Amino acid sequence: MKAPAGQVAIAAGVTTVGALILGGSFFLPTGGGYAQVGPGVVPRAVGVVLLLLGAALLREVFTGGFRGVDEAAELHLPMDWPAFAWVSGGILAYGVLIESLGFIFSSTILFVMVARGFNSRRWLLNVMTGLILGSAVFAMFNYGLGLTLPAGVLKGVLP
Amino acid sequence: MDVWAQLMQGFSVALTAPNLMWCLVGCALGTAVGVLPGVGPAVTVALLLPITTKVDASGALIMFAGIYYGAMYGGSTTSILLNTPGESATIVTAMEGNQMAKRGRAGPALATSAIGSFFAGTLATVGLTFLSPLVVELGLKFGPPEYFALMVLAFTTVSAVLGESTLRGLVSLFLGLAIGLVGIDNQTGQARFAFDIPQLLDGIEVVTVAVGLFAVGETLYFASKLNSVDEKLETIKGSIWMKAEDWKRSIGPWIRGTLIGFPFGTIPAGGSEIPTFLSYAMEKKLTKHPEEFGKGAIEGVAGPEAANNASSTGTMVPLLTLGLPTSATAAILLSAFQQYGLQPGPLLFESNSALVWGLIASFYIGNVMLLVLNLPLVGLWVKLLQIPRPQLYAGILVFATMGVYGMRQSSFDVFLLYVIGLGGFLMRRYGFPTAPVIVGMILGPLAEEQMRRSLSISQGNWSIFVTHGISAALLALTVLVLLAPLLVRVFRKRLPAG
Repeated sequence: MKAPAGQVAIAAGVTTVGALILGGSFFLPTGGGYAQVGPGVVPRAVGVVLLLLGAALLREVFTGGFRGVDEAAELHLPMDWPAFAWVSGGILAYGVLIESLGFIFSSTILFVMVARGFNSRRWLLNVMTGLILGSAVFAMFNYGLGLTLPAGVLKGVLP
Repeated sequence: MDVWAQLMQGFSVALTAPNLMWCLVGCALGTAVGVLPGVGPAVTVALLLPITTKVDASGALIMFAGIYYGAMYGGSTTSILLNTPGESATIVTAMEGNQMAKRGRAGPALATSAIGSFFAGTLATVGLTFLSPLVVELGLKFGPPEYFALMVLAFTTVSAVLGESTLRGLVSLFLGLAIGLVGIDNQTGQARFAFDIPQLLDGIEVVTVAVGLFAVGETLYFASKLNSVDEKLETIKGSIWMKAEDWKRSIGPWIRGTLIGFPFGTIPAGGSEIPTFLSYAMEKKLTKHPEEFGKGAIEGVAGPEAANNASSTGTMVPLLTLGLPTSATAAILLSAFQQYGLQPGPLLFESNSALVWGLIASFYIGNVMLLVLNLPLVGLWVKLLQIPRPQLYAGILVFATMGVYGMRQSSFDVFLLYVIGLGGFLMRRYGFPTAPVIVGMILGPLAEEQMRRSLSISQGNWSIFVTHGISAALLALTVLVLLAPLLVRVFRKRLPAG
């Protein structure tokens, strides 16, 4: 049986993380103090174990796949990449825009993009809902709880 | 002071007006997030952690605990009325409960789960009240090597016993431990895996990880994979009250469910899935109406619901008395304690007894509130299920990003949130459990501290962990837990041959 590519990638990824942590532990002192155990000991152990676990995952992948994961059923559920992209884009746009555009508008953009990812094309409704939700949360936190969410382009316009 | 006096002192804390209000807010919020798909108690408590700077410790912790056990009540409503379960612990309820609803018996199903939850939650709180002082006494005898061994055992049971694969559970645990390593080592001040990025020097916040794994990962998975799956919301027809026969058939399962659930919660195995499955299997065997199972047997709702509530209250025993979190939400509760500079454990019962007993007393009050919130007022929560999915998930993400960004006003955290969300998506897709990540990242640094303390005592001699009796026994138990599935497999192979 051919090994599923996704599972190979996951197992390889875990192995790589283990290798990186193990590598990083060599830059940390492992001795010293009364305990004679420095800050590098636990990272080294975590790195070694993750390497071993990654190898064990690889072994599973090539001997019939991850145990208990029905890869055929998973592949049967089609992956909706546009939906994935809309949700991802919404969060990343929020990270890019929050400081310049401010909380209310970046939340609205996030809201509209995530809703679109779930196949909602009622743009006007989503824009309005996003604006109202964003403004309500902004008001609650900035005037009610005294936290400061960024006003962005509305700086000076809002009290 | 004996238990009664301490409990009375606890009630005097829990019954003050502000604490009653926090309890009600927690229970209501918990029910709401339990009902809503896509958001659970772990994310909610994580997002609310910042209020610890504004609210006093007892108020905030009473509210957080209310969210935790309130979600168990709310989750059953969703699994009865919707064919997709709201919380993982209510999968079994979904099997029988949804069948009952399809046959027009949604009312009695909701009633037996709410009353059963109340019954189990209250009995388990009684158990918590009387068991805690005993465990505290035991815990006072523990030194660093015993605590380290206990934490190693908890790590193992949380990741290896739960879930379908020991291997994938361990991978999740060690990824969590790796996340816990990032930041400044609290014993030497050495920076680890921070790559000179100032935001990483402070360590990765549990809020970012919990929200990323549970809210963002879940939303990505649901949007791209399950959008095509049909959901059907059942309506409540007729009376929600149970008939005499329903009562008669529910009482036994409630009692048995509680007796299964509570011990499972208290041992460091965590999670409420296993006791619900056990209770379901037991009721299926004992019932006088086996033909109804799979088609809406009330016993199959009453038992598992009692079991999951009893076990979630049970997890408070190791959390409060030993500082051992055995579920994702319990781990986040532990970090809530840490926000106040408090460390749950036997010493907390001495130094902050009013706080601890106030919290325990609030469980009695909270369960009464939840019974009222979930039975006469159930119609209110059903309305939440009518929010269309696109707007629901969009709203959840607005709150999720706000909480993560607002913590430090840093857009770095938003990108980190997305990266962890991607990880959560992959874990969900490939069947890795997420709870061990949270437990690992919070308990990991504590375990490392206990380990290095032990080695300070023994001046670097590792044999300290096996020369101390209790610690040696706990470590032996850990090895046994890890090897048990392997041994069973070997035996099964040999059996037919021999």
